[in-house]
Amino acid sequence: MATKEDLEGFVTQVTCPDDFDDFWFGVLSELAETPLHPTVAPDPLRSNDDVKVYQATYMSLGGVEIFGWYSVPTRGEGPFPAILLLPGYKSEPALRRDWGKKGVAVLSVAVRGKLPSSSEFNPGYPGLLTSGLEGRHSYSYKGVISDCVRGVDFLHSRPEVDPERLYACGSSQGGGLTLITSALRPEIKGGVSGYPFLCCFPESMTMLRSYPYDELTCYERAHPDRSEQMLETLRYFDAVNFAPRIKCPMVVGIALEDEVCPPETSYAAYRELAGPKELWLFPNSGHGNAHDYPAQETAWLEQQIGLGQARTAGS
Amino acid sequence: MTYARSGAGMFWEQTEAGLAEIRPGVSLVPDTFYSQPEWDVYRMHYFSSGNVRLSAWLSVPKSRGPYPALIRMPDYASVHDIIYTPLRHRAVVMNATHRGQRNSDGEVRASYPGLLTEGIEAAESYTLLAAYGDALRAVDALESQNRFDIGPIALTGSGLGASLALAAASRRPRIVAVAADTPLPLGLPSALEPGLGYPLGELGDYIRMYPDRSGRVEQVLSVLDPVRTAATISAPVLLSAGRFDRSTCPLGFAQELAEYLPNCDLRLYDGAAEGGGHEHAQVRTDWLSANLGLA
Repeated sequence: MATKEDLEGFVTQVTCPDDFDDFWFGVLSELAETPLHPTVAPDPLRSNDDVKVYQATYMSLGGVEIFGWYSVPTRGEGPFPAILLLPGYKSEPALRRDWGKKGVAVLSVAVRGKLPSSSEFNPGYPGLLTSGLEGRHSYSYKGVISDCVRGVDFLHSRPEVDPERLYACGSSQGGGLTLITSALRPEIKGGVSGYPFLCCFPESMTMLRSYPYDELTCYERAHPDRSEQMLETLRYFDAVNFAPRIKCPMVVGIALEDEVCPPETSYAAYRELAGPKELWLFPNSGHGNAHDYPAQETAWLEQQIGLGQARTAGS
Repeated sequence: MTYARSGAGMFWEQTEAGLAEIRPGVSLVPDTFYSQPEWDVYRMHYFSSGNVRLSAWLSVPKSRGPYPALIRMPDYASVHDIIYTPLRHRAVVMNATHRGQRNSDGEVRASYPGLLTEGIEAAESYTLLAAYGDALRAVDALESQNRFDIGPIALTGSGLGASLALAAASRRPRIVAVAADTPLPLGLPSALEPGLGYPLGELGDYIRMYPDRSGRVEQVLSVLDPVRTAATISAPVLLSAGRFDRSTCPLGFAQELAEYLPNCDLRLYDGAAEGGGHEHAQVRTDWLSANLGLA
């Protein structure tokens, strides 16, 4: 089991490219030129007395249509605070009606490659992590991150959402994407990043032998001549390089027995956070399965947004 | 609530008959990209009932066989990838899929949420029933391939995967061990309790939307009742659950199931749907190693 001393003593070799901000400014500019075309279709089967659920879509980078579960409280008139829920690597986007019941609108995003956002881009699992690694402009995560950023635009397009109370959260890849999206979109007022993936790629590839990071090892073994280029590409997508650009309150949750995302690498991202920050360490817990994490996540968000108060005020 | 359980025998007879009509026709294609220094990875394909083509990831140690084998039955999710297990060094590991999952979606594409209720109004249209046949076919496919010398076979899975593993063990007595984490109580009243989270909550949603179909839903699901088939599982079963689980494997069901399994080691943890999490992962690896002769 990793100890807090192990985490604090870990130093990553990841450095930030000089043109990091320029690259992402270019991506956001390109994205801004893409019409959002948001749609919502009621899903009566998933809706209940507390929450109305919609199947939502919007357009993202490269004209890719992105799907999301969008749930809106039925009680109260809003505007409601909102949570952007970002997905794990291979898991399905979750439908969090429990948060809707507490008075929060939730957009749970299926980034490109996931069902049902896979019609135009579908590298598979495994596959996504190495797709387009040859360059930062072709890398899959340029699109994946854009899809998350576009989720913020979607929430801003909704009249029932309070644009001043927008939060983000997710676990594993969703944890990494929470950090990255919060850095790129200062409209996000706070977030919870659980067991974050996408941190310290060079070390994560070698510290453990498990997927998804092992996809990179496989790529390097198959293409030893591209190793340097691969690591250069990944610098633009490493959450450690986004962390200093996050100014909002942020929690990072780390399982000290994490066998998928090395705890040291998640801590490296936490250490670089520029805003108010909180660290949750879970001893004797593995990736994504700390017993107390879900309750702590909800409690933190409840405190930040005033989940219960929102419902009372609107009733 | 009472369940018509008489249809279960017929369901399994028809499932076996459907499988008997189709030869597995296993193909194994080496995947050099994902192969490792200690084991080779293969993309495995085979056919199930209705001539549906299924895919699996197969890893084979580079050491000399025969190899004990572990089949990891698929979770309730679209992706079943080459998940890491420390047993890969010494055992063949097969990550099987059922129809509708990624790479096995030529005929039908499952949605999540969705699969649990898709076509549930009739047994003939309920996709999930065919997934149980696909679980049996995974065992058949591994046994019928002739490229590797396979020894004892154990099954594992969580959620739906655990239910599939238990069902397959009940129909394939050659299975030597089953590690089942948080199985779904499909076919039992506890699956239909109001207020459950997903995935079981999908059933509650459906019945709320179509209250007049609740009896039919109960009847269609009844053939999957794992308690009914538990007594036929001769292999030892390591069963795990979380005491606070309200979405996948409610505590009462886990306890009832354990009572009916002839050789069950029930482990309960202070968790929810994640069951025993990291702690149980260690227990499971040790238990499977011992039961596969790898300890």
